[in-house]
Amino acid sequence: MSSGRSSSRGNISEDEINELISKLQALLPSSRRRGSGQASTTKLLKETCSYIKSLHREVDDLSDRLSDLMSTMDHNSPGAEIIRSILRS
Amino acid sequence: MRGPNNAASSSTSKGGGAMAAFKQDLLRNLLLGLRARTAEAACPFDAMSLQERKRAVKCSADVAMAAAAPRRASATGGRARWPKAILAAAAAASSSSHSPSGTCKVRKSACKCKRVARRRVDAKRIRGYAAASCDVARRLVRRRTMALRKVIPGGNAAMDDAALLRETMDYVVHLRAQVDVLRRISAAVQISTSLRDPSQSMAQL
Repeated sequence: MSSGRSSSRGNISEDEINELISKLQALLPSSRRRGSGQASTTKLLKETCSYIKSLHREVDDLSDRLSDLMSTMDHNSPGAEIIRSILRS
Repeated sequence: MRGPNNAASSSTSKGGGAMAAFKQDLLRNLLLGLRARTAEAACPFDAMSLQERKRAVKCSADVAMAAAAPRRASATGGRARWPKAILAAAAAASSSSHSPSGTCKVRKSACKCKRVARRRVDAKRIRGYAAASCDVARRLVRRRTMALRKVIPGGNAAMDDAALLRETMDYVVHLRAQVDVLRRISAAVQISTSLRDPSQSMAQL
């Protein structure tokens, strides 16, 4: 597909990509379980996608919980005030 | 479960030192954003429907994360794109609603760029490095790469695959921190709410 072209920044080496991929692998939660065996690129990319999606879901759930909690508080938000005073100290 | 005292001080995740500052900024931004929204006279928090409220909190969390992201990205070595993409999307969304203050307050200090420069798409693709160089492997990798671009904010912009990988790493690290901050703030609010109502806290014991 792209073998003929080169970007204006010069060619990106395979080594660089491989290094990035292994760094990415280190970030994923599965790397702690299975050790650092060489996983295939496609599996890694797929796992990264799933991981990001699960993080998004977690953010959604936590935001939902937070908005529920906030609706039970009055506008002065004493909870937020507590946190702000912690930040100040 | 940790109490509110630990909300701002501890940094338990990997690379905790650098992320601690980000988490504090995120927390601060989030409180600013939420406070702006709850104080909004035109569309007060309580008057929103449940769905609108949830969307508002989620948007505040994302804007807070994007605004707290360091200008000089750590993993990418250049500037990460995802914060700008988030802020641009949030601005587009809020311009059609009547409560932009939550977004603007935080965004003003963060993003000066209005337009993302579009370059020609350079086709530096990830080849199937761990697989034989056959078309099937390449096509699979390509499909996975496209899927990844969809979940990363701004991933569809022109960038080669190496940049995409760096962007992904940076985004994942900050996303995890966002989850951490949201967890702590939820716990803190929950505890403070129950403190105000002693009968509730008794029920929890």
